[in-house]
Amino acid sequence: MSISGGIIDCHIHPNADLGSTPEETAETLLRYADRMGIEMMGLSLGPIFHPQPTEEQIEADNTFNANIIALHPDRFFGYANINPNRLYHALSEISERIENGPFIGIKLWIAMCCTHPNLDPICERAAELGVPILQHTFLRPEGNLAGESSPADLVELAARHPDTTFIGAHTGFNWEQGAREFADQANIVADTCGGDPDMGFVETAVRWMGADRVLYGSDAGGRSFATQLAKVHGADISDADKEKILRTNAKRVLNL
Amino acid sequence: MIIDCNANLGQWPFRRTAYSTPDQLVERLARVQIDHAWVTSLDAVMLKDVTAANEPLAEAVADHTQLTAIGTVNPKWPAWGSDVEACAEQFGMPGVRVNPNYQSWTLEEPVFADLLAAARDLGLFVEIAVRMTDERHHHPLVMVPPVALSGLLANALEYSDVPIVVANAKNAEAGSVARDSGGDLPDNLFFELSHFESVGGVQSVAENIGVEHVLFGTHAPYFYPEAATLKVFDECDFSEADLEAITHANAERLLAGD
Ligand SMILES: [Zn+2]
Repeated sequence: MSISGGIIDCHIHPNADLGSTPEETAETLLRYADRMGIEMMGLSLGPIFHPQPTEEQIEADNTFNANIIALHPDRFFGYANINPNRLYHALSEISERIENGPFIGIKLWIAMCCTHPNLDPICERAAELGVPILQHTFLRPEGNLAGESSPADLVELAARHPDTTFIGAHTGFNWEQGAREFADQANIVADTCGGDPDMGFVETAVRWMGADRVLYGSDAGGRSFATQLAKVHGADISDADKEKILRTNAKRVLNL
Repeated sequence: MIIDCNANLGQWPFRRTAYSTPDQLVERLARVQIDHAWVTSLDAVMLKDVTAANEPLAEAVADHTQLTAIGTVNPKWPAWGSDVEACAEQFGMPGVRVNPNYQSWTLEEPVFADLLAAARDLGLFVEIAVRMTDERHHHPLVMVPPVALSGLLANALEYSDVPIVVANAKNAEAGSVARDSGGDLPDNLFFELSHFESVGGVQSVAENIGVEHVLFGTHAPYFYPEAATLKVFDECDFSEADLEAITHANAERLLAGD
């Protein structure tokens, strides 16, 4: 199918194997994005992933991503990396990188489980600024990592902050469970990124959350754009729903 | 012409998937221009007597020229040699699959060499499924580590006239075997691409292990078959010759045994 306007990929990372400078990384990503019909990509984390990033690592990664956006503001957007264990620094990065630009969302990974009270001022600030929070959510059969949030954890946080919009990354990875957990919490949308191209993923997300609350993302560079796009292109849903997932939902949620 | 060397029929015990019958699978693969598929039985993986799935599989595909059945055997099971014979002689299958992790054996054990010897006598290829689904999706009571590939290279060199297909391997798993071989994989060793990931990943794996060792595979209908076609045709930038090799010529060479 073709959609009017290009695809928006809400979830990528500038992994070191894509390039060592913002210029190289941007060039690699754009070469592949152009082949796949992807118009815009949302950056977070950095060349190396830090589970418990220091303030210096946070700033370096945010600067790296801001530099990519500066090179191609029509092709990249970004989420401010923060560490909620360093709350004052987190709030100052939000002011510095979102209020003053260029970032249009906040990324939270696995430094702290998202039910912690430190998340409250961050969510309030996101609501004031009108930007979404992209929260990694996962469900491991042996139990999650320390500091890793489950879909139920995000539901708990989102219920405390009804005026903040949350993107539940990976639909919890075990998507059959994650889509159901997110279903009734209307201020959570889910992204489809990471994980194998399991048939039924997107159909299940749409069935439980509705097509307006599902966003395409890839988790590139670790993942292939192709395998992740296949989840949407290959799904047994209407073309109108595919267009929402591939583009229009992201435009709405991210104010693009 | 696209030959899918890694499709499935039946049901995985822990998830229902659509398109699990021969008619449905043929139609679903045709939607992405896949003409022919080698199919294994998902039901076989968790059976104790895995060969109970072979006759139903052979019957299911009998009137579908687009499908080739690949039986499953377990070389740790009593009288397994007769099951390999049945796959070759009774069912006319070109190869047999093993799931060493679900069958509790390793490629370093003598049974692997015994299986390769039996396959050589019967003109069969041997396919190893490294995993069936992401380990992080496993049922918490049925967590099965992927197949360790140590022992693969030595046996492939020893049984150089038996084609060996490694299915559902990730980039790093294929890469480590290529590295162990000093960048020169034996001619009889093939990796199927359904689980190759990362941006442009199929092309980087192909460059790493040699394009002549790459087979097209979808893992459909467990995976959306579009994942494989989009990776190969859209995301990567293969030459016409490389596309020919990956999509069918390597598989045809494997079957022809040269
Ligand atoms: Zn990610």
